[in-house]
Amino acid sequence: METDVLIIGAGPAGLAAAFEAGSRGLDVVMIDESSRLGGQLSQQTQMVSMLPSQYPPMKGFELAKLLINQLHDFPVKILLNHPFIGLYQDGSIGVSDGKNVFPISAKKVIVTTGAAERAIPFLKWTMPGVMTIGAAQTLVNRDFVVPGKKAVIFGSSDFALDVAIQLKQVGVEIEGIIEESTKLTAQNMDKINLIKQASIPIYLNSFIKEVGGNGQVEEVYVQQDQEVKTFHADLVCVDGGRKPITEVFYQLDCSFSYQEKLGGWIPQYNERLQSSQEGVYLGGNAAGISFHGSILLTGIIAGISVCEDLGVLEADEANSLRDSLFKEIKIIESKQDDHLWLERMTHIENFLHPKLKNQFIS
Amino acid sequence: MHIKNHPILGERLHDPVTIYFNGKPLQAYKQQTIAAALIANGVKKFGESRKLMQARGLFCSRGRCCSCYMTVNGEDHVKTCMKMVEDEMVVIPNIGDPDVRGDSHGN
Repeated sequence: METDVLIIGAGPAGLAAAFEAGSRGLDVVMIDESSRLGGQLSQQTQMVSMLPSQYPPMKGFELAKLLINQLHDFPVKILLNHPFIGLYQDGSIGVSDGKNVFPISAKKVIVTTGAAERAIPFLKWTMPGVMTIGAAQTLVNRDFVVPGKKAVIFGSSDFALDVAIQLKQVGVEIEGIIEESTKLTAQNMDKINLIKQASIPIYLNSFIKEVGGNGQVEEVYVQQDQEVKTFHADLVCVDGGRKPITEVFYQLDCSFSYQEKLGGWIPQYNERLQSSQEGVYLGGNAAGISFHGSILLTGIIAGISVCEDLGVLEADEANSLRDSLFKEIKIIESKQDDHLWLERMTHIENFLHPKLKNQFIS
Repeated sequence: MHIKNHPILGERLHDPVTIYFNGKPLQAYKQQTIAAALIANGVKKFGESRKLMQARGLFCSRGRCCSCYMTVNGEDHVKTCMKMVEDEMVVIPNIGDPDVRGDSHGN
């Protein structure tokens, strides 16, 4: 298969990039290992925060629909259930359809592989009944399945509070939100108030020591001060934060550098969202963990840069578009967390000094 | 338990199918993954880890952690959080090492 642009990952950043490239007449192929478009957006029933100014406030699954619908009139070929497998010697990308592997040869590649949730280790954390907070949300909003009867939530980000409310709405009793620090990590007062209104107990200065049960979680042991409290619960939702998914970048031999706020080791890129490999661009959470707004904006920038490099967009116009998009990223990121925007700038400045190359898979 | 009437998304469960877990018939719906369908039917333990023989099940539901792999229709090491159910699907826990290079796959 041959195409102008191959996009790996069909979440918000990939969809936004596909629109930029497709609407300017480029042939686009988009692959994703899952069976539906939209990435994690499609099970987000909460309002998504910090969207770019052209979007009205909406829920995650509504945003997914909007991004998918705007591709309808353009030459975008979508291959679901098609994971990236590796690279052929001639540089084409190996893709699997579940049975066979075939090459896709593209002039440019945009990698928008998103983020994975981090685990928090405690004794027996692999026991059935322990899952990521995102997994619990997926069960409720994608699969329409109640993940448990009584839940303990470990971590207190805005996202964890969203899911706690969603779990409660489908009849899961929330036994407690366990937070290691002295206050909730969530910043959104509306969400914190919702939790208080719902009478969900909050345990600060606490952590899960161990879970117990015969083949699945039945009890959760929580250390608070000198005391260990026992909770009777069959579900533990772990809110460990997110890190960029980077395997594709290792295989494409991209350079990396470390930015704590952006999720740890992430592929390096310049202000065009171009990686150290000439034909490889990136966007979304793979380019550093952030809010929905930056996920979309970085995807759009990657799409614009590809259009410029393939000659369907003038350099002047591309530059001015990128400038205004970056200004919006700055507004979104510095409003919420000053360090996030500063680290993104540092990361872009570091582009000329690769920190890590050929360390993993090459 | 299945969510028949979702507080935000409404009634979405259509097309019931039957899958078999360890020979036992379970009801599921076409738009569910195998892992989700098992949890809806009260099955949380999907197998045992091959080294320490500890129970394992769904953890990330994103195809990243591989904790939920099972044998599906005779194919070993299927990530059940990424595969949708089909009618009459036969699902059994993957206990030992998967038979990736065995004769059954013609390798």
